[in-house]
Amino acid sequence: MDNYNQVLSVLILLTSFMLMANKRIKSYIGTFRLQSALIALTAGIMGIRAAMAEGSIDVLVVSIIIIALKVIYIPNLLHKTFSGVEYKVEKDFFLNIPLLILICCGLVVFSYFSVSRVAGGSDGIMNAEVVNSISLVLIGLFFMISRRKAIGQIVGFLVIENGIFITAMFSTNGMPFIVDIGVFIDIITAVLIMGIIVFKINEKFDSIDINKLKNLRG
Amino acid sequence: MNSLTYNILQLTVMILVAPLINGIIRKVKAFTQKRKGAPLLQMYFDLFKLIKKNTVVSETSSWIFKAAPYVVITTALGAGLMVPSVTLVAPSGFMGDIILLVYLLALGRFFMMLAGLDTGSTFGGMGSSREAMISALMEPSILITLFTAGLAAGTTSIGGIMTKVKEMPAPLTQPVFIMFFLATLIIIIAETSRIPVDDPSTHLELTMVHEAMILEYSGRHLAMMELGASVKQLVFITLLVNICLPLDQLITISGIGAIVLSLLLYLVKVSAAAVLIAIIEVNTVKFRFFSVPNLAALSFILAFIGFLEYFVLWR
Amino acid sequence: MGFLLWLIPVISVPVFGIVKNRKVLHAVSLIVSAAMLPIVGFATLDVLNGGVLEYDGLGGMFYLDPLSVIILDIVLIIGFFAAIFSVSYIEEELKHGKIAEGKVNLYYMLMYIFMFTMVLALSVRNMGVMWIAIEATTLASAFLVGFYNDKQAIEATWKYVIICSVGIAIAMLGIIFLHMSSSGSISGSQLLNWTALYGNADKLNGPVLRLAFIFILIGFGTKAGLAPMHTWLPDAHSQAPSPISALLSGVLLNSAMYAIIRTVSIVNRNQGGSLFTGRILIAAGMLSIITAAIFILTQKDYKRLLAYSSIEHMGIIAVAIGLFTPAAVFGALFHMINHSFTKSMLFLSSGSVLQKYGTREISRIKGLLKALPVTGTVFFLGLFAIAGTPPFSVFASEFNILAAIFEGRNYLLGSVLAVLLAVIFAGIASVLFRIFWRTSGESGVHGASGVHGVPEVAGVPGVHGVSDVRGESGVSADLPDAGEGSVKPGEVNIPGAVIIVVLLAVTLVTGFFMPAGLRELLENARQIIIGG
Repeated sequence: MDNYNQVLSVLILLTSFMLMANKRIKSYIGTFRLQSALIALTAGIMGIRAAMAEGSIDVLVVSIIIIALKVIYIPNLLHKTFSGVEYKVEKDFFLNIPLLILICCGLVVFSYFSVSRVAGGSDGIMNAEVVNSISLVLIGLFFMISRRKAIGQIVGFLVIENGIFITAMFSTNGMPFIVDIGVFIDIITAVLIMGIIVFKINEKFDSIDINKLKNLRG
Repeated sequence: MNSLTYNILQLTVMILVAPLINGIIRKVKAFTQKRKGAPLLQMYFDLFKLIKKNTVVSETSSWIFKAAPYVVITTALGAGLMVPSVTLVAPSGFMGDIILLVYLLALGRFFMMLAGLDTGSTFGGMGSSREAMISALMEPSILITLFTAGLAAGTTSIGGIMTKVKEMPAPLTQPVFIMFFLATLIIIIAETSRIPVDDPSTHLELTMVHEAMILEYSGRHLAMMELGASVKQLVFITLLVNICLPLDQLITISGIGAIVLSLLLYLVKVSAAAVLIAIIEVNTVKFRFFSVPNLAALSFILAFIGFLEYFVLWR
Repeated sequence: MGFLLWLIPVISVPVFGIVKNRKVLHAVSLIVSAAMLPIVGFATLDVLNGGVLEYDGLGGMFYLDPLSVIILDIVLIIGFFAAIFSVSYIEEELKHGKIAEGKVNLYYMLMYIFMFTMVLALSVRNMGVMWIAIEATTLASAFLVGFYNDKQAIEATWKYVIICSVGIAIAMLGIIFLHMSSSGSISGSQLLNWTALYGNADKLNGPVLRLAFIFILIGFGTKAGLAPMHTWLPDAHSQAPSPISALLSGVLLNSAMYAIIRTVSIVNRNQGGSLFTGRILIAAGMLSIITAAIFILTQKDYKRLLAYSSIEHMGIIAVAIGLFTPAAVFGALFHMINHSFTKSMLFLSSGSVLQKYGTREISRIKGLLKALPVTGTVFFLGLFAIAGTPPFSVFASEFNILAAIFEGRNYLLGSVLAVLLAVIFAGIASVLFRIFWRTSGESGVHGASGVHGVPEVAGVPGVHGVSDVRGESGVSADLPDAGEGSVKPGEVNIPGAVIIVVLLAVTLVTGFFMPAGLRELLENARQIIIGG
């Protein structure tokens, strides 16, 4: 199966649509876990190939780190944060879901056209996987805009990170190892810090609705 | 094989297999609910019984009420003619085309909705209006799904798509066809009144859609309506299995034996699809009616991503 | 030797965690930040003599050239000043119970992690590691921004972390494309090394590189406070403790701008001209200046005013980099230095003002020159300086940049920029008049109305008047002499006052006279950016 990465990149893109269609914070976290698992799978396949071809296990190590970090640790952390804040199940988005999904669809088209316009499209470097991955970044951004709860924003940020990671995987077979490791450390710190701030927001504002953060203007 | 024999074969397969699908789905559902369930062939018995019975027609209804069952069964069978169950023997001459297929089915549906309205009963009107909404939502995604498959194969003829697909190595490993598969699955569920959208086994006033429209029918008319619906279901399932899972190229023998073998393969594929649908139906709960647009959007997106992947990958 | 720049702050962080005695903490902080100065001084001399400073250790990660050493000098000098200022600042805050005793450790730990990440960002060769360090600056400074832990501070922190993290993530995408553009021409341990990228710039894949530039500009531009992505900046800079505001504004923005400059030089070399980057940078820069001008004119909060002024100056630097003529780039680098010193001076003095008056509202500051004779004077002159008035150095570099613009026959751009600078000057001048020309006897615009029995020195309205400004943090109750409703004359932060006077002197002197070493360093840096 030579086109496994095409298939996986499409499936990863699909999980981002699923995320967009999710209504509850718990299902965001579940979908994020699924997405990360797919990414880990992609990295794992690439890692095994690289290990067999060149004997380098960098990518394989990275995929194990993803499993530990993004499939297990961060989702659990988010669950903990989520159950730690007082929060009743309520609507978390202000546009309806079909519209959100259609806008995401537009983002995919946009990334396709912009990537192929800027980078010449057919010169072989910009392929379907890269388009899908950049769409993932854009959808992550849009997800952050479309959700009102702080945890939704954290998930959006993580989706952006996923998109960037997968772009790196598909376009260049991964970054230099030290950069990858540093990025992971940064992400985990960022999520920890955001989690703490969510607690603080909940403490001070009695809600994690970021629309209530309106004190600073002008 | 000339086109007459082909068409006769195709029609027979459609009429004979369609009720079996319903039987399989019901059986699987019963099995998961730890019931014994009706026999596999129950729908055949039902149809025979209905044909023998008298028809009662409301006095207030017009000719549309009587014409609708004929239109429904004719359009369904017409559509059935266009989706070859056996792709070994490509029928010569007219092979049918995606747009015609979609609009034939739409015509049948249109008459069904009119008939629902015609009797003037509350349920009929309610069912028709809901059906109109669902079909309006699903139409774009059906079209774009089929166009995606058509683009990938380079033809809008359904027989042509199925023949082309056989030359590809394992279509289900191509992103385009994965998307096609998922989108078509959702379309089947919505179009054939399956659970997240409608409940085929309910006669609860508030939820039924398809059943509400045919509530006034009896006897022969009802039999035609039921058969029409199940043939339509088989049409979609055939599209799904024969495009995503072409196995006919594996048959090496020729002659009558090949056709029989191919038919057997077809039966296996269709039954597998029926089991899959039943499993989906068992594992979901019926949506609120206003969540149906989400489903439609999802299938549209699936089809659309497939469409886009086609442009990126095979341009 | 250069590795000490990384080692010293890293070692100091656990020390700040362990030590309980506050006096020792302050002393360690002063020693650490002072110890870095001679090291960076020697590094600067090395770079002046040898062109670059690099070591083979750690895979050749360490790399300093004139461009990075200029900004590194700024970081460490301002870091030192901020450390001195922090001592009295923290003591004052503790005295009024605005922060808890135990948080001093946290303050110093985060501050030195913050310093370390900035030093790291400026002294590595690898663009990927530079990205990591810049992302880490956000994370290290997040809790410093939210240090007061009240509603506004938490809000500012959330915006800061979310907007900057997303921005930086997009910069990562840019770095990935940079990496991608080099595939085929650079390999092995050279991957993403700035020197390798710059050296092989003509072999990189042009279209991908252009894409990389756009993402990097958006990403690091967010961090540098360029216009459409600037929204976090006024909040974070106004809510952070003042020494941290000085670091954020005077140093952090430069580090982000440094990353942009590095990329621009690669892209321009690859494209053989500045047409592509120039248009985008000038547009972003002008938009920043316009945005800043609008908000400065209507500003009611002096710390936010300073923050918007930072956006303006970053915009000016972006425009100058966009022009990419030798004179403009020289001006941009010089402007970076001047803006850093002037702005940190202003933020530090605003810290004293805030501690004295307990409010950030311009309309409630009255009789500043009487209440804080030294700080008030510096603040007064500093506002003139930042608005671009001669004889201060900001004027000199702004003039350089404008001259370069007109020299390049960009008359429209030049005149629009000049008009905008005039508008900003007017905005800042009106603030000056509101603060300094309203004597303490006059009643405020709306401050006095809610106060019962305002005494003759109506510096601070009563308890109720101020409470809405700093939330429920109990600030108003702890105001100096709030009970009597007056502000006693006298400096709150004597070492701090000395610091800002020194800074004022520096900005004044560099307005007239540029030391030969500095000029050479700037010339070398300019050559590195432009080439040739």
